[in-house]
Amino acid sequence: MTRTRERRRSRLVRLATTATAGAALLAACTTTTGGDDTGGADDGEVTVAGTYPIESLDPHGAQGASTGTQLAAQEIFSRLVKPDADGTLKGDLATSWKPNKDVTAWTFTLRDGVTFSDGSALDADDVVASFQRMTGLNGPNAGNFPGDTMTRTSATEVVLHSPAPDASVPGKLGTFYVLPTGVGKDDTAFFNHPVGSGPFTVAAFTPSESLALVPNSKYRGTRPAPRRVTIRDIPELAARLTALRTGEVDVVWGIPDDQLAALKGQKDLTVRTVPSSAEFTMWFNSSVSALKDAEVRRAIWQAVDFGTIIRELYPETGRPADAPVTGVVLGHVAQQPVTYDPKAAKAALTAAGFDFTRKLRLQFANAEFRPFVQAVVSDLQKVGVRVDPLEKEQAAFTEDLLALKWDINFQQLATPSYDAASNLGRLYTCAAERMGYCNRRLDGVLAAAGATADKKRRTDLYGQASRIIWQDAVGMYPMSVSIAYAWNSHLTGFVPDASGLPDFATVRTGGS
Amino acid sequence: MADLTVTVERPPTAVRRPRRALLSLVPALVVGCYLLVAAVGPLLIHYDPVHTSLTDRLLAPGSRTSTGDTAWLGTDGLGRDMLAQIAYGARTAVLIGACTVTLSGLVGVVLGAVAGYFRGAADAVLARIFDVLLAFPAILLAIVIAGAFERSALLVVLALSATGWIGFARVTRGIALSLRERPWVDAARVLGVPGRTILARHVLPFTAGPVVALATLEFALVVLAEAGLSFLGIGLPPSTVSWGQTIAGGKEYLETQWWIATLPGIALSLLIVAIGILGDQLTARYGRGRPGRTPTTHSSARTG
Repeated sequence: MTRTRERRRSRLVRLATTATAGAALLAACTTTTGGDDTGGADDGEVTVAGTYPIESLDPHGAQGASTGTQLAAQEIFSRLVKPDADGTLKGDLATSWKPNKDVTAWTFTLRDGVTFSDGSALDADDVVASFQRMTGLNGPNAGNFPGDTMTRTSATEVVLHSPAPDASVPGKLGTFYVLPTGVGKDDTAFFNHPVGSGPFTVAAFTPSESLALVPNSKYRGTRPAPRRVTIRDIPELAARLTALRTGEVDVVWGIPDDQLAALKGQKDLTVRTVPSSAEFTMWFNSSVSALKDAEVRRAIWQAVDFGTIIRELYPETGRPADAPVTGVVLGHVAQQPVTYDPKAAKAALTAAGFDFTRKLRLQFANAEFRPFVQAVVSDLQKVGVRVDPLEKEQAAFTEDLLALKWDINFQQLATPSYDAASNLGRLYTCAAERMGYCNRRLDGVLAAAGATADKKRRTDLYGQASRIIWQDAVGMYPMSVSIAYAWNSHLTGFVPDASGLPDFATVRTGGS
Repeated sequence: MADLTVTVERPPTAVRRPRRALLSLVPALVVGCYLLVAAVGPLLIHYDPVHTSLTDRLLAPGSRTSTGDTAWLGTDGLGRDMLAQIAYGARTAVLIGACTVTLSGLVGVVLGAVAGYFRGAADAVLARIFDVLLAFPAILLAIVIAGAFERSALLVVLALSATGWIGFARVTRGIALSLRERPWVDAARVLGVPGRTILARHVLPFTAGPVVALATLEFALVVLAEAGLSFLGIGLPPSTVSWGQTIAGGKEYLETQWWIATLPGIALSLLIVAIGILGDQLTARYGRGRPGRTPTTHSSARTG
């Protein structure tokens, strides 16, 4: 009897020990080891936690369009032109640019005396070689320049020829980075120690983990203020925010609304949201019989109470959208808002003979959008429209997106060129076949908008295109997105960026 | 004096015995409660996983909702009631667990008994298959299977059964190996009873005890694995309520709205611990044999 009792007790003790060990292990897993190596000190070291991992430093490669690679590339390399924090274009390597008469060729005059971080000179040859490398590797950024060629006219001048009139070339070049001549495909030797002409050079890089940058001593502009910038990848949001609070990292962005309130209460943190070019875009697949009718599409849009969803889920970072592109994009013209009216929607759907037994497939890719999508599904269910939310893995999502294997497609669609040409002009034509919608009149307006370099005229034409898209309900355009930034108040000179790609060259530590 | 010592010592023993007996009932009671909630809860509480009520989001336990009800365990990020989610989640967990354990038990017992009773080539092949499959990490295999196809409850059951049956097969094979040498099996064989009948009538019934004990432990593991798969987003579809999904949905709110991830987490761990102890009790009683049981189960279990 005593033995059994003892055995039981020892089992209890064992259980308790296991539980304690488990708890300790869990605690150890939460990454933040209360280090305040940068906190508040004027040591010139800035540590940031990006929203997306940096998997590659090659801006022309397969990862070239990913946010992580773009964030790294803009610090290491130079571009011909670059968007400012608010989206206006600025010369980087180019001092001026102008189109020819029919907007099929753009001439860029290059800055004189620019050198790479290894001291070699950067000239037109490097620009042309980089452009050929980008189009040759056929990565995602090459898709912006189908059939375009670049030629050198002098050591400080290059010309970009397009097969068709293209007024959005400067905007699209915001993702084109200049590397030295002779970098091969998958050139690991080069990308282990990349040579660029940006404000920083690479001190250490571990893909999907961290990137350490130090100032480029050969940089043509003002020498970057921080002594060292470390971009860390902390995938778990809770861990990222804890790291910000403990001072382990100095800047975090892409913070969801529900976490913002807690951060705002901290007095040593600055929290700010900036409107971005990203918009929640929910295309209808107009090629399926159920959604062919514009009346049906309009009615579905009307059936969702986007106002309440945005107010409740995105009180800080969301604003009801008023056009297919956001306000920071060239070509934005506000449209008549769609009012929530489930009764009218139900009546319109019934009148149009909508098949309420059919389940619509709503595909999306990121877990962060799950609440939004579920709220939309819930609203549609109230008017009798049955929707199946399908959360897909990114690769599967993209494949199905292009194959039109969906009825409603949810995407947070950004316009990184800040030019409606690369959004409306690229995606909504009959030839693009992106959402099964085809309207010859829209094609005509978009072609005319792409063929003129006059800003006012282009805005006017994209406004007309927006009206057609909006009224035909090619998709639902519920919300324009702002990006929430939070940084330690001892940093000065930090400018939140509209595309989620902040520049750290101007950041100083020990400010307050 | 001797009398006195006896009178002094007796009462505590007399008190302790029923208390211990009561204590040993606790795991069974807890599991019983879960079964009750799983069976009755969904009948009493209405819950539609698709319906969201955004004005009631992130309410603390005990708050009033916009419809005038009380959210006893609070609401989640989409204003859905936590109590209902836990009750419906219990049903899902119990159903998935029962289906998986039944499926893997059936497959495992049949294959194990065949291998152990018929021996020879069948045993050589089957036993090696068990060994090879045992070398696979079960949860990884389940993740691969569950991740490769579209999410559905059937897929989760199949993915979890894919490795779950091996334990049953090994235990049954061990028992069958020992039982086939028993005198009554020899007697049946001499009488000319066909092999299949001997297996069904004279071997399989004796595997029941250890198999039930194993099934209980397996049930706990399956419930945990299902929650794990759903947490990773490759388990049950979003239209089915699952503790794993609820916990995943609440992990961002751990600091401010602790109840979303914590309450289903507690529900899950309590069930696992209770089933684990219950399984231990069953193993002690039926698995390893006990004085008073038939000597057959006793010796067979030792081999198993």
